[in-house]
Amino acid sequence: MPVVTQSEGMSRRELLSRSGVVATAVATVPLIGADALAEEAPGEVGVRMTVNGTVTPLTVDPRETLLDVLRERLRLTGTKKGCDRGQCGACTVHVDGERVVSCLTLVATLGGARVTTIEGLADGDRLHPLQQAFIDHDGFQCGFCTPGQIMSAAAVIEDGRARTDDQIREQMSGNICRCSAYPGIVAAVQQARKEMR
Amino acid sequence: MREFQFARPGSVAEAVREADPGTAFLAGGTTLVDLMKLEVMTPGRVLDINRLPLRAIEATGEGLEIGSLVRMRDVATHTLVRRDYPVVAQALEASASGQLRTMASIGGNLLQRTRCGYFRDVSVPCNKRRPGSGCPAVGGENRMHAVLGTSDSCVATHPSDLAVALVALDATVRLRSRTGERTISLRDLYLLPGDTPHREHDLQPGELITAVVLPRLPWASHSIYVKVRDRQSYEFALASAAVAVRRERDTIVEARVAVGGMGTRPWRLAAVEAALAGRPATEASYEAASARALDGVRPLRHNAFKPELMRRTLVRALLELERTR
Amino acid sequence: MSVSPIGRETARVDGPLKVTGRAPYAADYHPDGLVYGHLILATVGRGTVREMDVSLAEAAPGVLAVYTPFRSIRIINDFAGRGAENYTVLQDTTVRFRGQIIGLVVADTLERARDAAALVTAEYTSTTPRTSLADSGPGTSPGAEQVLAPGVGSIDEALASAPVTITTTVSQHAQHHVAMEPHATTAVWQDDQLTLYCGSQGPQRHASAIAASLGVEPAKVRVIARYTGGGFGSRVPAWNEAKLCAAAARALGRPLKVVLTREQLFTTVGHRSAVRQTVRLGAESDGRLIALSHESDAEMPAVAGWPLMPAEGTSAVLYRTPNIRIDQRLVTLDTPSTWAMRGPGEAPGAFAVETAFDELATRTGIDPVELRLRNYAVREPLGGRRFSSKYLDQCYRVGAMRFGWDRRPRRPRSRTDGDWLIGMGMATAIYQGGRGSSSARVQFRDDGRVTVASGTSDIGTGAWTMLAVAGADALGLPVAAMVPELGDSALPPGGSAAVGSGATASTVPAVQAACRSAVTALIRAAVENPRSPFHGLDPADVRYRQGRVSSGRRSMGFRDLLRAMGVPDVQAVENTEGIDRDGPYAFQSFGAHFCEVRVHRLTGDIRVSRFTSVFDVGTVINARTARSQLIGGIIWGIGGALLESDPIEPDGRYAAANMADYLVPVNADVPAIDVHWLDHPDPQVSEVGARGLGELGNVGSAAAVGNAVFNATGIRVRDLPITLDKLL
Repeated sequence: MPVVTQSEGMSRRELLSRSGVVATAVATVPLIGADALAEEAPGEVGVRMTVNGTVTPLTVDPRETLLDVLRERLRLTGTKKGCDRGQCGACTVHVDGERVVSCLTLVATLGGARVTTIEGLADGDRLHPLQQAFIDHDGFQCGFCTPGQIMSAAAVIEDGRARTDDQIREQMSGNICRCSAYPGIVAAVQQARKEMR
Repeated sequence: MREFQFARPGSVAEAVREADPGTAFLAGGTTLVDLMKLEVMTPGRVLDINRLPLRAIEATGEGLEIGSLVRMRDVATHTLVRRDYPVVAQALEASASGQLRTMASIGGNLLQRTRCGYFRDVSVPCNKRRPGSGCPAVGGENRMHAVLGTSDSCVATHPSDLAVALVALDATVRLRSRTGERTISLRDLYLLPGDTPHREHDLQPGELITAVVLPRLPWASHSIYVKVRDRQSYEFALASAAVAVRRERDTIVEARVAVGGMGTRPWRLAAVEAALAGRPATEASYEAASARALDGVRPLRHNAFKPELMRRTLVRALLELERTR
Repeated sequence: MSVSPIGRETARVDGPLKVTGRAPYAADYHPDGLVYGHLILATVGRGTVREMDVSLAEAAPGVLAVYTPFRSIRIINDFAGRGAENYTVLQDTTVRFRGQIIGLVVADTLERARDAAALVTAEYTSTTPRTSLADSGPGTSPGAEQVLAPGVGSIDEALASAPVTITTTVSQHAQHHVAMEPHATTAVWQDDQLTLYCGSQGPQRHASAIAASLGVEPAKVRVIARYTGGGFGSRVPAWNEAKLCAAAARALGRPLKVVLTREQLFTTVGHRSAVRQTVRLGAESDGRLIALSHESDAEMPAVAGWPLMPAEGTSAVLYRTPNIRIDQRLVTLDTPSTWAMRGPGEAPGAFAVETAFDELATRTGIDPVELRLRNYAVREPLGGRRFSSKYLDQCYRVGAMRFGWDRRPRRPRSRTDGDWLIGMGMATAIYQGGRGSSSARVQFRDDGRVTVASGTSDIGTGAWTMLAVAGADALGLPVAAMVPELGDSALPPGGSAAVGSGATASTVPAVQAACRSAVTALIRAAVENPRSPFHGLDPADVRYRQGRVSSGRRSMGFRDLLRAMGVPDVQAVENTEGIDRDGPYAFQSFGAHFCEVRVHRLTGDIRVSRFTSVFDVGTVINARTARSQLIGGIIWGIGGALLESDPIEPDGRYAAANMADYLVPVNADVPAIDVHWLDHPDPQVSEVGARGLGELGNVGSAAAVGNAVFNATGIRVRDLPITLDKLL
């Protein structure tokens, strides 16, 4: 994203004191949208997002990522932190129906957004066809990358990009599985795609 | 991650007015949030520009104008892009992962920072990150680093696949700043590192990319992007080639050639283009012309293979393009 | 009549929890009052921390404590008790390697702990570390082992006498486990009792190590590791982060969670040593071996770690030869602790010897499969023992047939498909297949279900399901009636850790023994309990079968029996001994890998296009999870051959300490994989006849890839990984 400059040259002390100054000036840029909450401490941001169908108002430190808020504040720990750098895909969730890595998504940007995690994928107690397919084809071993794999696969199928094995392999390559259940994952996506038609 | 102030400007004008040195624009976040966590980037203020109206793709008299906040995935799947500029769609689809392509904007893609491991590690010096501190990559682990456009201060590769395709097409970018609007060639946006590798592009403070314009180039429909890497997906290029060719019967009339993974910025190869023009479309011609890609290369200890890989990647791209006819 | 689930396809019993995100891993626990810790690592390769400025961090909002060598927290050295590292974290100012822990910041939120840690600065006095294996001479040998034919004076003499000799030197940089779950610990003290949630391959060992480092009674520490996001060796020891977390939580009187960053993992939880190996083969012109020498120099950190021994599990047990010598040397370096990583010595060792064999096949013109059959061993070449059960020859033959080995191009670089060169290669897989001691508790419950518990761990191996399958088989009940328990140090002591591919082979016999004892206990209760319809009968007249207790015409399910007796459960615990390592048999699992690759003629990209492997592992307990384990191992071989490498720099910095630069395979790197196993129960290993298979797939698979690349290109790459630049 366009970055104007950075404050590399500043010492930590300078930076800390400066951010204090900026904090008082934040009002010069008004927050827009209905998600702004009335009582915000300086440096905090009010966000109202919908998580797994539940409207969830939050006041967040702008540093907070969607991943950390889901896990540490909303206790939706099905979404996993594998690398925290967008290098593994374990934290994949849906924002407004699209797959994203939640580790690189700041919650402050999500006002009004609809977030779906692995906990919200199934319809009640009945497993989603992908969840069942991952069990049927042993598309996991340790299970840690699995929620991210399944959320990613759901978006790929929805997108109509899971037609051939090779297409699935490419589309699912943003989700690393160190146990290397890849052949099972491909088979699971194929099965679920047919069931989800 | 350093603490920062977060705000969401309501208009482009407000965004560029509010941006001062120390401010970062936040779009997809795939570079900025990553580098903020590593403390490589430490903006005191982050402006969320995601709701600005820069999300359209429009055919204009000039060509195809793509708003800078359009996501990589949406450019890659756009009908006109796929039909008229396959090199762009292919470059995007070869980039990153499905999740990251869904998130990242094309403006952000063009300004993404190098993947040089020393740049990304604040425990070591880096001239790009801390001017004058030194460059460990010159004598270090530099297999992935650049062989074109390097200096003693910096050998970091420009990581964008999209930029390689766009440079081949002579794309322009529309910029907006406090002082107004301007349109410049994407090639001119990127600066060579020289002694000032921390200056990566010709942007004024607070200047924002608002759109990318793919110029009308009917024969760009005959184009291709070939990316070579160790892993089959989810990796940056060791070498890549963006190639478009205008042929009449079996003769190449005109060609556009740019390479990635090689330069400190996306690298257009005019000499190769010239050497292709007027030649028969044969592997022998491709071999001969691609040799011109080696002009001025400066290999390092661990990337001495790169010039030859670049040459071969070009030949491969030209051959594969020929087969798509 | 129920059919035994042994060997059939049983879905993972932990599957529903894992696919819904409800399986709790270490960092998923949120005890009340939880606070967060973030580590600080040294940024010099060797030296002393002169001072640390923690003032900014301490002043940062929400910060509760900053621990450094100058303001430390007491940890006791537990190296003698199976620790991986010989120093004690934060107890002195010495920096022994780059990336050593030198601090811990605790704050009320994750962000505040992380960001305050970045405010701490350290000043060092540093000296140049020893980091380069390549620049080091031969290491120190714990002692070479050899067998020479009568009249032969030395291995060199034997090699010199051979009509054909091959010398193959291979090397590889450090490799990392990269389990998907970063090491994490959540520590909760209640009174004097510590509960530690952390991934572990052996929760009971883990608990004793933590107790030792805290100076508390082992009974005071309970480790819960029900779900562990991959281990591959990296979760065998309790590393420093767990000890620090436990100690700091005690000091602060707050539950504490410490999660390592992905970057920190590369220097704090072990890695596979860099290693250089030379295999020398001497053979007759018909390929029969006269002599084999396998030497290695592996990185051994000054802080200690796992000694990488690549020859003893490969060359020493693979091929018949009258003369053999192995010498596995260790080179002391100032690197982070090494630790066993899937096929610890065997994976690199097999790459060396199986590459050498391919070179011998090329030199003699003998088909690689035929060459291996000509050198087939029925005894260990070095140890001399017979194998307990060995059908490797069938693996070769069946594998060759399934793969279509007869279509292999005989001359290298002779087959193309468009711009792609096609090549095929094969290699042998071998991995120790014995079993160790274990324990299990089996409990008939009055809800009609049966608890099958063992203090083992499921790191993705399928142990949850293994317990259920073994219990269901032994009791003649459906798998669904079993309630497995594992991953808890409070389970009966003596559970098998998930190490050395031994957990299944070791635990199934324990479960069987405990089932038998539980049945005995059930019958005893039935005849002794006055409320039982079997009261007063001779136990010899009472039978148990498929969940029912009967005598004559009287018959009752165990649930109703327990309810009738007013007893909630009847249980038994059994311990089983392992097999004597010095016993008469050598226990090995075997396999044959066949690989096809496509290499681009211009740019050298390598794609593995087909893979077939056939294994001899004795009895398979669960076909579904076994297949996944074997496939996973094979893919590790593909990664090891083509991708995984972390060069270390002169200052001790790893060049690829993240998941974008340290490349592990992604989905697009992996073709369909054909895995098959023979059905030959091992009569010596146990009643059920199961040997291990978790690491086997990873042994030899890299060599099969490399041999296929040679067949495709005519280029032999001996320094891993085999990357395209080496094929231009």
